This record gives sequence, C-alpha cells and structure tokens, in this order.
Amino acid sequence: MLYKFKMPDLSTTGDEVDVKQWLVNVGDRITRGQAILEIETDKAVMEVESPVEGVLREWVAQPDTTVGVGTIIAHIETAGR
Amino acid sequence: MNSPQAKIDIDSYEAGFLLGLYECMVQIREFEEGVKFLFLEGTMPGTIHQCQGQEACAVGVCTALEPTDWITSTFRGHGHALAKGLSVDEMLFELFGAATGCAGGKGGSMHMVNMDKGMIPSIAIVAGGVPVAAGMALAFKMQQTGQVAACFFGDGAIAEGAFHEGVNMAAIWDVPVVFICENNQYGASTHVSKVMRAATIAERLSSYGIDGRRIDGNDVIAVYEAARRAVDDCRAGRGPAFLELMTYRRTGHSRRDACHYQPKPEREQWLENDPIVRLGQALIEAGHATTEELDAVRKHILTSFDDAVERAKAQPQPTLADLTTHVLA
Ligand SMILES: Cc1ncc(C[n+]2csc(CCOP(=O)(O)OP(=O)(O)O)c2C)c(N)n1
Ligand SMILES: [Mg+2]
Repeated sequence: MLYKFKMPDLSTTGDEVDVKQWLVNVGDRITRGQAILEIETDKAVMEVESPVEGVLREWVAQPDTTVGVGTIIAHIETAGR
Repeated sequence: MNSPQAKIDIDSYEAGFLLGLYECMVQIREFEEGVKFLFLEGTMPGTIHQCQGQEACAVGVCTALEPTDWITSTFRGHGHALAKGLSVDEMLFELFGAATGCAGGKGGSMHMVNMDKGMIPSIAIVAGGVPVAAGMALAFKMQQTGQVAACFFGDGAIAEGAFHEGVNMAAIWDVPVVFICENNQYGASTHVSKVMRAATIAERLSSYGIDGRRIDGNDVIAVYEAARRAVDDCRAGRGPAFLELMTYRRTGHSRRDACHYQPKPEREQWLENDPIVRLGQALIEAGHATTEELDAVRKHILTSFDDAVERAKAQPQPTLADLTTHVLA
C-alpha cells in the first residue's frame, strides 16, 4: 500500500517548516522510527522519523523549500496497514 | 549508584513477579512509541512529553504501592499511570480527546487520572504535586487510614518554591509520603548541574530531615526495593521518605524538541543502559524466559495497542453539553 507521509506538526509556533535535506534515497528500505528527512523549524534543526516501515517511492518535498504542516512530503510503499 | 550497566540482581524473586515487571515496562515503552508514531502520522494532535527509558522508575515504585495508595504525577505521566493500573484504552481515549477518556476528553496527555485506581489528575505545573502529596499524606495520617502517597517529580522541580515548602511541611508533620525525584538530568534544555550546587538531590532532602538515597533508576529491582523500604517506613509512621532515581531523558523534552543540547556520547551511553534490556538479560540468564518468549510479550502488547487505537478512533467526542460539566466555579 502506498502511504502518503504528511509533514508532522513539529513547529513550535508556526505551521511551516523548512526542508533541509533528504537522509534516504528513492528505493531505499526504511524502518519505522528511522530519521529520513532533516528540517528546520522556527526553533531548531531536527530530523523527521518515518512512522511506517517500507520502501521510499518518491520524495514530494524538495530541499531548500518551505512546506506547511500536513503537506504530503513522501510516498512510502508499505507491506500492510 | 551502581555503574550503568551493572547486572540486575533478581535472585530473590519469583519468575512470575519479574515477568510482571518486564511486561509493565514494555507496555509503557510501546505505549509511548505507539503514541509517538500516531503524532508523526498526524493522527494525534498536540504535543506530548514521553518517558521512554524511565520505565523502571514508574514500575519499580508503583509495584511497591498498594492499590489503595495514591500517586501524584507530572506532564510526563503516561508511565506512572500505566504502572498504577490505568488501562491503555482509558489513556489512549483521553489522548484522542474522547468523552470516554480517563478525564472525559478534557485533560489530554498531561492529565492522566483515575480516582478509583489511586491517581489524582497529573499536574503539569513543575513541582505542583509536592504540596498536594504532602496534604494528601496529612489526611491519611489524621484519618489513620494507613495509606501512603507517592509523589513523582523531575530534577527541574527541586528549585521551585512549592517543592521546598511542600517537602518541609511533610517533614515537620511526619506524614506518610514518598517523594520520588526522577533525576533524568535535564529540565527542558537545562542540565541539573546548572540549577543545583550540591552534588546530589538526596543531600538537599536530608537538610529537611528526610532520609534519601540515590538509586540506579534504570534497575527496576533496585528501585522496587528502595521504594518498598520507603513505603514500609511511611506505613510504620516513619515518613516522609525520599528516592533520587538516576535515569535519563532519551526523548526530547516534548515532541518538538530536537534535543541537540544533550552531548552525543552521553546519549549513547544512556541508550545502552536500557532498563528493559537489562531486566530482559537477567531473565534470560536466570532461565526465567527465552528471547522468543520476551519477544512474544512485546508482540502481544503491540497488537493490543493497535486494537486500542482503532477503538480510540471510534470513540465519541465531548459534546457542547459537556462544556459545563466537571466545572467547579
Ligand atoms: C512552574 C512551572 N514552570 C515552568 C513550566 C514549564 N516546564 C514544563 S516541564 C519543564 C521542565 C521540567 O523538568 P523536570 O522537572 O526535570 O522534568 P522532566 O521534563 O525531566 O521530566 C518546564 C520548565 C511549568 N510547567 N511549570
Ligand atoms: Mg528532568
């Protein structure tokens, strides 16, 4: 099943975060809890963990862009769920 | 304190008791991890303060209490609640803001409560539980109920006025309260050394005439035994008591904290000092369980958590009429 990973609400005050860099590539197998993306919030640079296990199919969010909380940032192919 | 990876001495206890401790710690860990992923998925709004890595504190202390004893807890209270016997359902429903949650959907993560199970709503004000616990224990003493209050707080509480006033009151009244400081070494981004000149929190308590010991807070048996002594002392009229449980906050302060102020080597050392792994190893070495059996415990807990999430999503939300219930003034 294709899981559409939305940007978690990691910002302290705003509702947007800056996408810094991808930490995994398309085709990579990722585990639940693995840091897959580096972002910068209003407060700090931090890593975003994947809530699911699977294979990364597509990066929707591009580095050096700003995305809103809740925007789809990646497509991850999962086994079940 | 023992060195972090010191072996857990389980020789005095039966397998069933030890497995109960293990299961409760895994329940807390997987509840917290599950909630973390619900937050990342966007299924659960709001922020959360989590206690992964501190499970032995909650479980060791609450196992030493009777069901009729009471606890006060904090914003980081999921572990205390589960260890005091609250169900995953009533807590998760509360986190989903449902009317069927333990606080009717009005409290959320920071206000876990079950008055039938000895847990007043957890208090998000740092050190707020200290005077409340002293007061509860005074009532137990005056009414001669034989009950004990156990008061959980963090290292960040020890420079609060309410802490010193509450502890002193409890001390001069000789009331049956066990103060438990989970010294996870950080209050938000501030290291405990920046808010205290004394070497240990225990020695500060001795200035109030309360005996206190520093204990390896990631050794569930050490915590349980110290808590047992403290609770027995309180019940015998020799309270209050104090425990300083040395542990580590391995998550950010809340979900939105990147936690960069914790030095990497320090983090890594503490990640290896895992209270669940340590008890698991002791259980395997003693022949009380196999790796497969311990895995099965975890899998069972994971499956029931997923089931609880499905139930939680289907719970009724509070209605407009609930706005004026449970309001005192
Ligand atoms: C009186 C008060 N001051 C400040 C805060 C904001 N605050 C919430 S948690 C926290 C840090 C608490 O640290 P600690 O007591 O060590 O508990 P831990 O987070 O480590 O579990 C602070 C400053 C608060 N809730 N209450
Ligand atoms: Mg702390």
